[in-house]
Amino acid sequence: MTDELHPAEAAQALADIQKHQQQVIDRATVPTWYWWAVGALMVVLAVGVDNRTPIALGVTVSVFVAGLLLATGLAVRGQFRDARLRNGLLDGRGVVAILGFVALIVGCTLGLAFGLRAAGVSYPATLACAAGGLGMGLGGPVLMRTLRRIMLGNRAGSAR
Amino acid sequence: MTAARFDDLIHAPTRLAIVSLLAAAEWADFKFIRDSASLSDSALSKQLATLEQAHYIEIRRGFVGKRPRTSARLTPAGRAAFEQHLAALQEMVARSGATILPR
Repeated sequence: MTDELHPAEAAQALADIQKHQQQVIDRATVPTWYWWAVGALMVVLAVGVDNRTPIALGVTVSVFVAGLLLATGLAVRGQFRDARLRNGLLDGRGVVAILGFVALIVGCTLGLAFGLRAAGVSYPATLACAAGGLGMGLGGPVLMRTLRRIMLGNRAGSAR
Repeated sequence: MTAARFDDLIHAPTRLAIVSLLAAAEWADFKFIRDSASLSDSALSKQLATLEQAHYIEIRRGFVGKRPRTSARLTPAGRAAFEQHLAALQEMVARSGATILPR
């Protein structure tokens, strides 16, 4: 069989292998709407923080927690049902990218909130979380593309 | 570096699709494999049985609630065979002077 196989057929087989591995990796990608949902929930939570009344805080924290659980459940439900990514596809670079993204969003949001409060601006947490939420919505898909690139680079048969 | 060894069992198009999917996963659900590889239930069952007989995959049958659920995973032998097959394909392409461009 090996001797009969034309290089073009081997190339086609390699392309098919890559396509099928991408299908598994793409299935594990968090959808874009999820990042915007988390960004919006951050703003909801911040409204409660700025409002400073127990009832506002109670309501917004409840909405935040329930919304986050629902959004996360919807985003990952299909992934856990369909396939679990191979360990090792997401290496140390992926972990650094995720932690770096979280640190950037949290750091910038907190820094902005404290800065606005020090400047005497009304609703500093809400404004800062609106900026943080925007960063989440815009940056989340970029993080996903980065993780996808890392995983494709670590799949079997990739040119490492 | 992985030794190159062309594997006739893996190279059949439907089995190559199945093994490629499983190579990127710890395990994959029967329906996901079926839909991703565009196979019918019976065709997938037949190919999974062939791969299982070769000890290339392990099939798990269980229940989620009352629904039966079947999933499959590559065994270490299956993963090794797949990687050797990949290396053989890459060697063939490299020998011909062609390149595989990432899509």
